[in-house]
Amino acid sequence: MRLEKCWFCSSTIYPGHGIQFVRNDAKIFRFCRSKCHKNFKMKRNPRKVKWTKAYRLLHGKDMTKDSTFELERKRNRPERYDRNVTEKTLQAIKKIDKIRVAREARHHAMRFKGKKAMEHRAAITELEKSIDLVKAPAPLLQAPQEDTAKLKVKVSQPEAEFMEE
Amino acid sequence: MIQPQTLLNVADNSGARELMCIRIIGAGNYRYAHIGDVIVAVIKEAVPNMPLERSEVIRAVIVRTCKELKRDNGIIIRYDDNAAVVIDQEGNPKGTRVFGAIARELRQLNFTKIVSLAPEVL
Repeated sequence: MRLEKCWFCSSTIYPGHGIQFVRNDAKIFRFCRSKCHKNFKMKRNPRKVKWTKAYRLLHGKDMTKDSTFELERKRNRPERYDRNVTEKTLQAIKKIDKIRVAREARHHAMRFKGKKAMEHRAAITELEKSIDLVKAPAPLLQAPQEDTAKLKVKVSQPEAEFMEE
Repeated sequence: MIQPQTLLNVADNSGARELMCIRIIGAGNYRYAHIGDVIVAVIKEAVPNMPLERSEVIRAVIVRTCKELKRDNGIIIRYDDNAAVVIDQEGNPKGTRVFGAIARELRQLNFTKIVSLAPEVL
């Protein structure tokens, strides 16, 4: 059994999952779940939908160039089974996967690096600008409070007219 | 899911363009026809100057359905349209060419001629 990639979100499709759509020109679109299938039916472009792999790669969210990607390849010719080769491959998969995950983590850390400093700076400026909300401004604190005494003001109100039925 | 009154495209060069299903062969009490089923159909639209004409009653085998087809290995396949190939009483196609992708199930149902004519078998 071959593990295919979803046409929409590029995730792996395991046997028994998802659906295939065959267009009349015999192009096959494979989907990992109904979510992806529905998005395809809505004619959405995976490059514009934020949760897909295509979007993330296009917008520099994920690592795009790496030597670990070159090891994963699709072959149309079946390999003749060789116990030693299979064993080595299975060991290598684990090792390569570890390296890939570490590199991806590093990529993400690099991506978040500038953002944290920027957020810190923005927070400081905001605090400086609107400190008045937390602490009363200095002139208000120093000035003697004069206008606190109640003043009597003459107020007259015109008598309300009552409508009689 | 093909039932009487369903309109189908024709996936060969027999001369018919559009069919309307009027009966499903061997269905008994069952309502719908799927890929590989033989139906009796009326030609609703035909190509001019061809042996098959409008309102002729023929037999056809369904080769593509919009309704999903489930395989034993868990694969689910859906096609773009409902399409059939015009056949005679023995099950041989009337046309000489078949268009579009065709399901592999037809081979087991002894429509090997159609499968061999098809450009793509999925």
